[in-house]
Formats: sequence, C-alpha cells, structure tokens
Amino acid sequence: MNPYVLSILLMGLGLGTTVTFASSHWLLAWMGLEMNTLAILPLMAQHHHPRAVEAATKYFLIQSAAAATILFASSTNAWLSGQWDIQHITHPLPTVMITIALSLKLGLAPLHAWLPEVVQGLDLTTGLVLSTWQKLAPFALLLQISPEIPLLITSLGLISMLAGGWGGLNHTQLRKVLAYSSVAHLGWMMVVMQFSTSLTALALLMYVIMTTSAFLTFKLLKSTDMNSLAMSWAKTPSVTALAPMMLLSLGGLPPLSGFLPKWLIIQELTKQELGLVATVAALSALLSLFFYLRVCYCLTFTSSPNNLAGVAPWRLESKQISLPLATSTSLSILLLPISPAILSLTLPLF
Amino acid sequence: MVYMTYLLLIGLVLGLAAVASNPSPYFAALGLVTVAGMSCGILVGYGGSFLSLILFLIYLGGMLVVFAYSAALASEPYPEGWGSWPVSTLMLAYVLLVVCVSVFFSGGWFEGSWVTVDEFSEFALFRGDSGGIALMYSSGGGILMLGGWVLLLTLFVVLELTRGLSRGTLRAV
Repeated sequence: MNPYVLSILLMGLGLGTTVTFASSHWLLAWMGLEMNTLAILPLMAQHHHPRAVEAATKYFLIQSAAAATILFASSTNAWLSGQWDIQHITHPLPTVMITIALSLKLGLAPLHAWLPEVVQGLDLTTGLVLSTWQKLAPFALLLQISPEIPLLITSLGLISMLAGGWGGLNHTQLRKVLAYSSVAHLGWMMVVMQFSTSLTALALLMYVIMTTSAFLTFKLLKSTDMNSLAMSWAKTPSVTALAPMMLLSLGGLPPLSGFLPKWLIIQELTKQELGLVATVAALSALLSLFFYLRVCYCLTFTSSPNNLAGVAPWRLESKQISLPLATSTSLSILLLPISPAILSLTLPLF
Repeated sequence: MVYMTYLLLIGLVLGLAAVASNPSPYFAALGLVTVAGMSCGILVGYGGSFLSLILFLIYLGGMLVVFAYSAALASEPYPEGWGSWPVSTLMLAYVLLVVCVSVFFSGGWFEGSWVTVDEFSEFALFRGDSGGIALMYSSGGGILMLGGWVLLLTLFVVLELTRGLSRGTLRAV
C-alpha cells in the first residue's frame, strides 16, 4: 500500500482509540469508535481478493450498526437525563442498549457470530490488530458503564466463555480458532467486571500479550491451518519448542502467565460468593484448553507422516522482525512468578 | 403550526420506512430526499433556520445528488418499489414499530409533546442553531479540527478502497 496512505490509516487507528480513551462525552467516544472502524477498512481490504473484501464489508456493516445504536442510546440518555456524560448514565434503557452495542463491537456472545468469519478473511497482521487494538476503545467505555448493569455484563461473560469454548472446538483453520479464543477471553474479562475493574484490565493485558504472540508465531510459520503447522519443527525448532507453552498459556495452565488472570478472577468470584459462576468459568476453560491442546499436538507433540529429516526444508532467514514475537512469547510464558508486580500494573484502575 | 409540524413528521417517518423497507436504490434515494426535506421543514419550525439551510444545501444538494447519480449508473432492469410484496410488508412492519415505540415513549410529565430545540425563543436573541455554530468555532475549535481530520480520513479510506479500477478491491468477481 502507498506508505503515505498507510501512515494516515495507522495514525487514524491510533487517534481513534486515543479520542475514545480521553472522552467524557458520548459523542466524542462515538467519534473515536467510528474513526477506528473507518481506518481499519482499507487495511482489511488491502490484498484485494474477494475473501478480504467480504471480511471488510461484514466488519463495516456490523460496526456501523453498533455505532448507530450507541448514537441512538446516548441521544436517548441525553433526552431522558439531560446530559451527555459517560459516567453519569443511569437510566436502564440507554445503558442496556449501549452495553449490547459495545458487545457487538467487541464480539461478545451472543453477538459474536461475525468475528470468526471476519478474522478468517484477513491476513494474520490485520487479524492481530483487529483482535487487540480494536478491543481497547469499546473496553474503555464498558469499564465506565459497568457499575449500572452488573447482571447483564456477568451473563454476557458467562455466555461468551461457553460460546467461545464450544465454538472453537471443531476447527482446522487457525484464525477461526483464535477468534473463538478471543470470545472466550472476553467472557473471562466480563465476568469479574462488576467486582474488580483492575482484574478485568489485567485479563485484557494478558490476553493482548498472549494473542500477539500467537498471531506472530503463525505469521512466522506462514501457516493458517493446522496441516501447515506440521513441518514447523524443521523450519524453526525453537519456535516449535516454545509455541506450545504460549498456547497452553492461552489455555490458562499453571505455571504459565495465562493462569494469572484466571486464578485471580476465580478467587475474586469465590470471595464474592459466586461459586457456581466460578465453577462454570473453570469448566468452560477446559473447552478452550482442548482446542489449544489440539494445535499444540499438530505443532509439536506429534510427528506427521511426511518425508523425514533427509529432505528437511531450506531454513531461509525470515524477514519478519523477531523482537515482538520474542518479547510477547517470553512474557506469555514467564510472568507468573512476578504476579504481584503484574497485578500492580492495573491496580490504579480499581 | 402544530398541524404543519405533524404533517412534516408523518412524512419523515414514512420516508424513513420507505428507505428501510429495502426497495431498489432509486426509490430509496427518493425516500432519503423526502426525509431530508421534511426534517429541514421541522427544523425551521423550531427555529433552526440556519441549520436547515445548511442541511438542504450540503446534504440534499451535495451528497444525496451524488448518491442519486451513482444509483442511476448502477441501473436495475426491474426496480422494486412499494408495489412488490416484500417491500410493502417491511414498510408496514416499520410503521407499526414506530407506532409501538411512540406509545411506549409518550406520556410522562410532558404528556406526549416533544422537547423543542428553541427554548425561550421570545426572550433570547441567541438561538439554538446559530449559537451552537458560534460555539463550534470558538471553544469547540479542537473538536472542529478533529471532525475535519475525520472527514479527511474518510476521504483517504474511500480513495484507497476504490483505487485500482478493475484490479482493485471493489470489482465484479
């Protein structure tokens, strides 16, 4: 893509999230969300093939519908209460409408059906931006309105965990697996939002790190489905050794860092006497763990039938910058021993 | 005056239902023109004459005209209007929806009347729309620049999406 256009689009993406973060007026927050939607569209369609254009179209329609609902709900709130402040939204009707619109923007169940198809149509880099950066701005708004509708947010979280776990089970395409993993992780973030916004932010931070590592790993291996993972041992043995750790961290296994948010969330739920919710959450994590384990199996734990070591592929130097992958993989494996320090990163949000 | 506003509002809702009931783009554009015209009339009735003028000129006279020309270029052999069964069914459904929602929202302390844009019109020289525009250029200057930047971004997005003629993103495949 023309580098000037690319830089304008990326700056638009950055500005959109910044504007939503900095806003206290619903119109300005909406403006930031629209900027994000607009700026990512050419990035999605940049490869000009029909699947990418289809993904961009679906994304645009869904996000526009959600943004229109936000505009409508904030106007209704302005009519009913006379003010546009984000944190002073109290009437249940606009609050519920805005929550549903924001969950459509994020891809929370039961409004998650667009996410696997859109991520599947994109290349891995744009899918990464979609799964990480585009989640931040709606999250900022949800964190501010969550005290008003705790039951709705907890229900959305529970349904998302189950839908993400069950939905991701029978796939071979890695991008769809990562989309359902996104749904499930968003569920974990929602479930604790009414009790501790700092734990929600911690879960979001850990999810961003782990999913960055996942997308970058698959990009390095140039693989988008599980079959093409099979020969990665011959291409990059180090990645083949570390990637299962990163994937199991996504699944929430101790002693990897992905365990940290799940552990603290279950602890908080138990303290708040929501033992059943905590149990359902833990059991739904098993569903997600199964499909992460299946990817690990294809990647590392088994040798696929193929011409063996005698015809190993050329190990050409990859042009991908390895620092982001190295950093995010290390972080997604090794953070558990310094949990108090990691927790203190998000404590100011409480 | 109330009767005039009533007629304009009915025209507005019918025009919106006409757009949403999925006819072919010719009739949808006609519906949009009706909506824009009616809403300009309502705005004038509540004192926002400058805003109404700007809306007529820029929205109706600029953007809708361009949309109508684009729709005319992508001509359909059998355009579907209210005569076709699916379109008229959707139309009736939307009108029913509006009736239900307005019944839900009517009542309360204002007893079914709707809040005006132009409070204290007999006592103030500073009207809603022109006062707002003055504020937009003074203390709202930063947001004005942000809005201008967003429009420029939209231009770049559209140019990038439509670049390349038959090799680009939007092509008949």
